[in-house]
Amino acid sequence: MENLGMVHQLMITVMGRKMTFNLDVIVMTWIVIGLLLLFGYLATRGKSLVPGRFQVVGELFVEQFFGLTEDALDKEMAKKYGPLICALFMFLVLSNWIGVLPHLHEPTKDLNTPLSLGIMGFFIAHHAGIRAKGFKGYAKEYFQPFFFMAPLNVIGEIAKVVSISFRLFGNIMGGSIIILVVSHLTYSILLPPVLNGFFGIFVGTIQAFVFTMLTVVYISVQVK
Amino acid sequence: MTMTPDIETWVRASAMVGAGLSIGFGAIGAAVGEGHTAACANSAISRNPALAGDIFKTMLVGQAVAESAGIFALVVAMILLFSTVSVFSWLEAAVLLSSGLCMGLGAIGSGVGSGFPAGAACIGTSRQPGMSGRLTTNMLIGSAVCQTPSIFALVVAFILIFTDFSARPLSPTWAAILGAGLATGFGAIGSGIGSGLVAETSCEGVARQPLAATPVTNVMLLGQAVSQTTVIYGILVSFILIFKAFEASSALAPAMALLSAGLCVGIGAIGPGMGIGAAAHGAVRWIARNEKSIGEVTRVMLVGAAVTESTAIYSLVVALVLVFVV
Repeated sequence: MENLGMVHQLMITVMGRKMTFNLDVIVMTWIVIGLLLLFGYLATRGKSLVPGRFQVVGELFVEQFFGLTEDALDKEMAKKYGPLICALFMFLVLSNWIGVLPHLHEPTKDLNTPLSLGIMGFFIAHHAGIRAKGFKGYAKEYFQPFFFMAPLNVIGEIAKVVSISFRLFGNIMGGSIIILVVSHLTYSILLPPVLNGFFGIFVGTIQAFVFTMLTVVYISVQVK
Repeated sequence: MTMTPDIETWVRASAMVGAGLSIGFGAIGAAVGEGHTAACANSAISRNPALAGDIFKTMLVGQAVAESAGIFALVVAMILLFSTVSVFSWLEAAVLLSSGLCMGLGAIGSGVGSGFPAGAACIGTSRQPGMSGRLTTNMLIGSAVCQTPSIFALVVAFILIFTDFSARPLSPTWAAILGAGLATGFGAIGSGIGSGLVAETSCEGVARQPLAATPVTNVMLLGQAVSQTTVIYGILVSFILIFKAFEASSALAPAMALLSAGLCVGIGAIGPGMGIGAAAHGAVRWIARNEKSIGEVTRVMLVGAAVTESTAIYSLVVALVLVFVV
């Protein structure tokens, strides 16, 4: 209980600016990336028409999220954005699940991870919008329905980044706090596995899916 | 002879009042939601008495999820009552009161909201017994997402309890602490009810048109996510109020500005949260009837939600002005 909210930090000064690194989060992110690379290697090793165990899981992910991207965008654009969406979901879902294991923490519990993914999605969506409609058509959207609505439209776009990242962060952070506090109150008898199953696996999957879906929708709103 | 209570008494009193407010308000939502579920289960059983056992099970599962917001409030109340307070200051008193208020208010919406999908799932089971498994899954997903606003309230309550405010000046920090609790607490009401409305029609939709179950669930998640945008504005303002160090000032105006920033974004989020929920409620209902037009319906829902949300953005802007300018 006492170490709630404690973070291992590394502070270095670069050109007069103090930079802070959250070491735990960086290490956990590397673990997630490593596991995903290993999964990718195992899934594609010895590809065959009759898939192996890992290939089936890989195909499941790719098929689901390609289908989803195709529904929201179109076939041509799905080829471009499908891999991104699929990778985003796989990274997020593994990040949210990893806290179930002892001594490991979800990288998404730190606001920096969801916020940077949210900002990435923001830039991708707006880049896609400019590519699809040209800069003039893109800029015109901000003056809808009236020209004086422009400042509010800009705030609305920025609010999207805030909402998408805080949603993931709040859910994962809240889940881990509840697990910690309730386990502490009940002396870790009986409840922790149930709580980990609900907040770690179930809510983690749903929130990873919601984040991915919203990223696709933000791209499709800009493109259409 | 009258005795003025010392600061230690005030802090203990504030912990007790906070605990009372937490579970008191927190009990409202869960009870309303569970009652609604039971009412729907009764009407479902009278339609199809042969399935009484299945419907009863669905009702209990749904009520269990609807109660979790109330349980969060109970956890916070227990912590406020039984944790040993070591710091005795006016700021600590504000923290205890504000965290209780935040969790209590924040549990109302989620409790009421997650009763809706549970009720719709009971009625759906009576109409379409073959889909009861898929309906229960859909209900569980919908109700779990409904809990998000109360989880946000819990996060803010815990951050308030565990943040060290001892180095901050008393005024205006006390107002920032109270404002932080109110922003997320009130903000969670609308979003909780709104996302419950969305989940309700998605359960109806799955029962009405089992073939459209997957798109209905997907659009439900999208609608719920959009209706929870308003509580996220609340949590944003709460974080700013908690983590920004405000300059000491004995004047009342800066303190009141911070308190009203919290109130502004919190109360301002209630209406849009429910309104966006209503927009998505309509969208999900019609996708279940006309699956082919999913693209158009979703787009209109998102645009409608964005327009509904503009009043929440106004209150966010006013709150940010109150925090940073005034």
